[in-house]
Amino acid sequence: MITAATWKRGLQKGILTTWHLARVIVPVYLVVTLLKYTPVMGWIAGLFAPVMRFFGLPGEASLVLVLGKLLNIYAALGAISSLDLTGREITIIAAILLLSHSLPVESAVSGRTGVSGLLMTALRLIMGVLAGLTVNLFW
Amino acid sequence: MDWNGFVREALLGVGKNLYIMAVIVIPVMVVLELARDLQVLDRVAGWLAPAVGIFRLSREAAFPLLVGIIFGIAYGAGVLIEEARSGRLSWRDLFLINVFLSVCHAVVEDTALFMAVGADGLVILLGRFIAAILITYIISRSAWLERESVKRGLPDLAGAAGNSPGKCC
Repeated sequence: MITAATWKRGLQKGILTTWHLARVIVPVYLVVTLLKYTPVMGWIAGLFAPVMRFFGLPGEASLVLVLGKLLNIYAALGAISSLDLTGREITIIAAILLLSHSLPVESAVSGRTGVSGLLMTALRLIMGVLAGLTVNLFW
Repeated sequence: MDWNGFVREALLGVGKNLYIMAVIVIPVMVVLELARDLQVLDRVAGWLAPAVGIFRLSREAAFPLLVGIIFGIAYGAGVLIEEARSGRLSWRDLFLINVFLSVCHAVVEDTALFMAVGADGLVILLGRFIAAILITYIISRSAWLERESVKRGLPDLAGAAGNSPGKCC
């Protein structure tokens, strides 16, 4: 049954989630934007450019991938919005990260349902890499 | 360093980010809550039950699978842990649901957020769904999974329907 409580709960959850998101996205966005104004971003980009090229991504994208895999999607979104990436590049990043993000936390959740977290992490890392290569090659 | 440039970009960017998130996340959450109270998923799970047979999953697996796909791992895991305790799902079911959901979960929120920053929604949604089906299918047919299911002493739903003394009632 739909009642006023349903709408209220949806709104509350939406506002709460936005707040949770903001707490991650805003700091990440600020740090990445700051990095862009220093030579550090150039070093990171140069260091990872050779690997990122396989995925059709610029070197800076390595930062987005690391944030997404270790923290979560929201941290990655904060970094994406700070960097100057094309729609195609963002789609490739999305393909990789949607298959393998928040690995430390989510593998712990898998563990609680009785399935090896390490195994799931390995599986997701491999699938993420394959997804990135596939989208880059065929789309 | 160009501090002026940084401050201007930072302020503009933070404002834009907050706006985009609120505009996407709040409606998504309202729609998900409406769907939950209309018990849409119970009905869809009913139609979906035969389809999960392609992974040789039991019919009971359809509901937790669907909850995870739409709402995400956190909700999905809640339902999963409950079902695991009730004993309606075997280790094999749980494992395959985990595999599927690890690839494809919370599709509404994730897709909307990535579209907001400029990704192609159709590519990531379909891509994820297809990847999940493929990998789950492959693992569901692997000799490794059959060995593990037997090792864990739970009824093998694939072939042992007739001779599974472990399953009572």
